[in-house]
Amino acid sequence: MNQFIQSLVDAISGGAILGLAALSIGLVFGVIRLANFAQGEIITAAAYTLIFTWQLGWFISIPLSIVVAVALSLLMEFTVFSRMRTATPATLLIASFGLSFLLQRVYEMLFTNTVQTAPVGSALAQSIDVGGVRIQMLSVVTIILAGSLLYGLTLFLAKSSLGLQLQAAAADFQTARLIGISASRVIGLSFALSGVLAAAVAFVSTVQTGAVGPSFGVPIVILALVGAVIGGIDKLSGALAGGFLVGFATSMLASWLPQDFSNFRDAYVFGLVILVLLFRPSGLLIRGRGVART
Amino acid sequence: MSEILSKSKASLRWRLGPLWSLASLLMLVYLVTLANSFMGESLQVQLQFALVNLIIVVALQMFIGTTGVLSFGHIAFVAVGAWTVGLLTIEPDLKRSLLSDMFPFLFDVQAPWLVAVFIGGLVGGLLALIVSPFLMRLNGLQAGIATFALLGVVTQVLTYWSSIGPRSGQSMVGIPDVLNLQTTMFFALGAIVIAWLFQRTRPARLLRAAREDGIAAAASGINVVSQRIIAFTISGIVAGVAGGLFALTNRVLQAQQLGIELTFITLAMLVLGGMLSLSGAVIGALVFSVIDVGLVQLQAGVDIGSFVVSIPQGVRPIILGLILVGFLIFRPSGLTRGREIVWPFRPQRQALPGVPPENE
Repeated sequence: MNQFIQSLVDAISGGAILGLAALSIGLVFGVIRLANFAQGEIITAAAYTLIFTWQLGWFISIPLSIVVAVALSLLMEFTVFSRMRTATPATLLIASFGLSFLLQRVYEMLFTNTVQTAPVGSALAQSIDVGGVRIQMLSVVTIILAGSLLYGLTLFLAKSSLGLQLQAAAADFQTARLIGISASRVIGLSFALSGVLAAAVAFVSTVQTGAVGPSFGVPIVILALVGAVIGGIDKLSGALAGGFLVGFATSMLASWLPQDFSNFRDAYVFGLVILVLLFRPSGLLIRGRGVART
Repeated sequence: MSEILSKSKASLRWRLGPLWSLASLLMLVYLVTLANSFMGESLQVQLQFALVNLIIVVALQMFIGTTGVLSFGHIAFVAVGAWTVGLLTIEPDLKRSLLSDMFPFLFDVQAPWLVAVFIGGLVGGLLALIVSPFLMRLNGLQAGIATFALLGVVTQVLTYWSSIGPRSGQSMVGIPDVLNLQTTMFFALGAIVIAWLFQRTRPARLLRAAREDGIAAAASGINVVSQRIIAFTISGIVAGVAGGLFALTNRVLQAQQLGIELTFITLAMLVLGGMLSLSGAVIGALVFSVIDVGLVQLQAGVDIGSFVVSIPQGVRPIILGLILVGFLIFRPSGLTRGREIVWPFRPQRQALPGVPPENE
């Protein structure tokens, strides 16, 4: 039973990370129809920043990693995606796939292929005892972090003028422009917010592993993208829930499948994805046809 | 009379036009191979890899170009084709000692390499056929993600399932050295001919119609899904053959070699040439490979006069990535702009009623 609660907490925190990552993809997709594969490289950049600047103290390192993530996210928009406004979602996916490959090779050249290590957030690496159940401190922190980010984001989207503009643009970009919402401002905002979320994902993953290589973000973004699509990438809640589901399922499969089978856990998740897409092409949480047929 | 003559002339031109585009592509591949045979040994190995990639790109074009549906999954068919050829051509004794966890019956199955390559193609096609009812209903982003998931499943199964290959982290070795450049070239020419023939078939024509306007095509009674299944399976066979040739060229197999990176490179070749035409696939693969070889030479250092010009290690893949992204931004229809090579010595043909356009 204790073991079950332990794995449950881990799975919730695993789901929370992927939920955030999927949400960061969904934020951008809602506005410009880009499923950004290169989101992984934004996570990697933030993680490298944490590793290289951790000895300066967390109060410098963490803000710096957020700045780097937001800057890279905006840079991608201005150099690449802003020039591809008329492209289809599939072409945008290929472009971001290429950008991801490109940035990984840049990281390889700058920081070599070997992983860089630093004791980032080592205070969080211990476990605490709650009524006989040993719980990873990091899992608790992750859940709290994800919860507060979500709360903040929801408040921002629902209460602030900019947030409402973003929601309007995500619902119907053309009409939003007609009523005077500045396209470039909203697009820039979505990229910046998605950079902030990427930095949060990077922080948690870096504490977890303590080591960052050029393809650090790739497995995270693959699962997040898959989660966003099966949840329904067209809606923020769909992307979030799908990401959470995939993260929760992979973590549970890893703790409960025997070793021989747990090697294949991603294969099970991918197989499930194909099935979900077959029956609900626009995502589990989306009613009707959504983006699927375009 | 003259009207009839001009009509028959036009129809002759209509028939010969596509044949010319086929012949020019075959000549192009032949000439590149011929030119290469005068150069060094290492360049010949690189060209052999380039021709294998060319076949993969042709397979990709047969599906993506014809249907307009994105596939990240074709490398999965390449991988199973390569695996099949590896298992069928490695000596039984070697398999017993190196791949000891395998199903026992796999130790003794053997086939001559040429037969093995075709079996590899069949296995690739079979996998495509099995998964196609699931994948072919999807479009756009969903198709991209689902085919990507297929690649993920296959890569992981080949990496970890030691009953059909090496244990994870190890590679399959001992694949015989039987394939030379000339034979690879014939396979590449064969793949181009098959893709060209496929373009003229009914399913391919229906799929191109559906690509341009899916709703109109469905309204005209085209069952898009079943036509796509045909295209996916045939291109899966070609990709499986390419995988077999990859195994015989590389002679060491690891699931990681047949994953995201190869997907990226072959897609970049297709985008560079132009997805919508066979000429695009062939020209894209060749141009990309020539650039790649040039960058490899530059990495080693090239003498220009009294200077040695060289680029640092690691710049090569960055330039290749820039090519893909740059083309998607500035020329998304590729070098060929989605057209086939046409007969250059005649004025542009007037559009004739009832005559299908030749550019497809």
